[in-house]
Amino acid sequence: MARHNLGTVVQFEFTRTIKKRRFWIATLAIPALLAIVFGLVFASSSSTKSLSEAQKNDKLSFSYTDASALLDPAIARAMGGQVETDPGTAVERVREGRLNAYFSFPASLTEGQVKVYGTDHGIFKNGTYEAVARQLVVLSAREKVGSAELAAAVQGTFSTQAETFKDGQVSGGLETVVPPLLFLVLFYVVIILLANQMLASTLEEKENRVTEMILTTLNPTTLVVGKVVSLFLVGTVQAVVFAAPMVLGYVFFRDQLAMPNFDISHLQIQFWPMLVGALLFIGGFILFTGVLVAIGAVMPTAKDASTVFAPVMIMMFIPFYIVTMVVSDPGNVIVQIFTFFPFTAPITAMLRNGFGSLNAASAAVVIAELFAFGALALRLAVHLFRYGSIEYSRKLSLRTAFARRR
Amino acid sequence: MQFGENTVIDGLSFDVARGETFGFLGSNGSGKTTTIRALLGIYRPTSGTLEINGRVFSDDYGARLGYLPEERGLYKKESVLDVMTYFGRLKGLSRADSQRFSRDYLDRVDLADKADVRVDKLSGGQQQKIQLGVTIMNNPELLILDEPTKGFDPVNRRLLMDIIEDRKKAGATVVMVTHQMEEVERLCDRIILLKDGRSEAYGTIDEVQNQFGGRTVRLKFSGTLPPSPNFRVVLADTNYAELALDDSADEAQVLRELVHSGMLVRSFVAAKRSLDDIFIQVYGENSTAEAAAI
Repeated sequence: MARHNLGTVVQFEFTRTIKKRRFWIATLAIPALLAIVFGLVFASSSSTKSLSEAQKNDKLSFSYTDASALLDPAIARAMGGQVETDPGTAVERVREGRLNAYFSFPASLTEGQVKVYGTDHGIFKNGTYEAVARQLVVLSAREKVGSAELAAAVQGTFSTQAETFKDGQVSGGLETVVPPLLFLVLFYVVIILLANQMLASTLEEKENRVTEMILTTLNPTTLVVGKVVSLFLVGTVQAVVFAAPMVLGYVFFRDQLAMPNFDISHLQIQFWPMLVGALLFIGGFILFTGVLVAIGAVMPTAKDASTVFAPVMIMMFIPFYIVTMVVSDPGNVIVQIFTFFPFTAPITAMLRNGFGSLNAASAAVVIAELFAFGALALRLAVHLFRYGSIEYSRKLSLRTAFARRR
Repeated sequence: MQFGENTVIDGLSFDVARGETFGFLGSNGSGKTTTIRALLGIYRPTSGTLEINGRVFSDDYGARLGYLPEERGLYKKESVLDVMTYFGRLKGLSRADSQRFSRDYLDRVDLADKADVRVDKLSGGQQQKIQLGVTIMNNPELLILDEPTKGFDPVNRRLLMDIIEDRKKAGATVVMVTHQMEEVERLCDRIILLKDGRSEAYGTIDEVQNQFGGRTVRLKFSGTLPPSPNFRVVLADTNYAELALDDSADEAQVLRELVHSGMLVRSFVAAKRSLDDIFIQVYGENSTAEAAAI
């Protein structure tokens, strides 16, 4: 019967949540907002591209003087430049608008400055003058060197590929860090999105005075576990809805949306870090859910519960204050404390797991600890629900709850 | 049964036979709701045992139990049909059976058009009907009703009474906590009176009336009631009175005495003492008819 009822509870709790208009308004608000932002970026990107194309075709007209004798007149001509015949009045002519731009190249580029004068075309377009002057020098210098290889070497415009080894194996770079850290992102998304629902899930029976009918029909463990499972499913739906526009945008409109050109095919998914990440995620989820459900069972109203709920949530963010230390000095005492203290453990351990500084023994201890504390928290939540939810209008005394042994 | 230093139930022992309707009576704070909650495993007794069919209650028995708690409530934001189906399924019915029962019941109580309406959009009386439907939807063999008519309007009260009688006819055992003595007299086979967590009286209604002795006379008359050592006036109205007879007084003797006093006796009905009287005697004049759990 309990198993049958677990399915019934999960179905009821899940269905009634996703059937609510309020849920979909809240859930779709974020993708809708993203769609608007993407739309704006898309429109802006299109106009920027058109502008760039137009600017590319627009030849900048300028005059110049070259004391360094470095510049190639042919290149300068091709870029729209001509040698200034009257340098003494050039700046004045630019000021008066009779000359578009005037560049004065010093005898020594390392000691002097290239003076750039131009008529104002707006804060962004004005940057073109300096860009053209600089490009003129680079192209002329490259022409003088006479070798594209040497020019690239001098400019440092060449690519490198690094490969490091750990325990005889090729160790990964960022490509191996990202996949396990996705569990960290998922953990935050799920907890932040669902925390209030977790808190309210057991308050509802109390506030609606349904507790007695429920407790005489259903095992409280089944009810609490059913609620946790349904919350997890609700969180999954929300995560999918939130991720959908980003995934679609990345796959189909990456260039138009100016998304980072991050090739996900380079990501290296390693079995153990992924397994550890998944277990840390599940253990952390059980722990935080159990604690939030327990708070809901003790407090008479959502308002009262929120005062206790805040410190629990803050503990999720505390590890980010020492994130640099977590990455660079994982052996530090503070990092160790954060790694093993139950409420900071999920985040700290997931970070360390991603960056490869969580060894197998530590991972096993943290995972075991999270599952143990999570189970304890759920058990506590069930106990407090059994005795707390019957205290309809007042906060349950923990002393009383534990005096009523079952 | 203790809450901290307070002993709320003390030395209480009673049994309810299968198929009978049992009244659980008591004033505010006498321990009725606490006893029911302890029976259903919501509270754990500090000592002693409470059993149903020889076993301590567990949720496994929930499928055969119909419990209407004193604190009423339903999931408010869901539709009537969803809530009823949910409870039906928790009580072991299939989805189809739950929905079939729910629709039949809603039809019976004139709420067929409210099946898809949210519970909090219904009036208080309509919500009570739904709660009642949820209570009986598994055709329970044991029906425990804590202050069943509390807050019910006369229509719902009649409905409830009909349902209790239906369940009685179907062989269900009914335990009802109530202050409504007319309901007790109409429905209950046996009763227990609780005061400060202890049993004050226990047995059939006749046995309890005998235990408290006394007979009453319901009198319709014209004239003036004479004083007499053979009775005291319990209730006096225009041309109507209820007299509590002295233990040694004979009904015929009292009638003669009244006739000889010169008054015109239109009706003289001797009866045992009413439960109302007994209730007032046990709990005092200040006992209220409001329910209140500890």
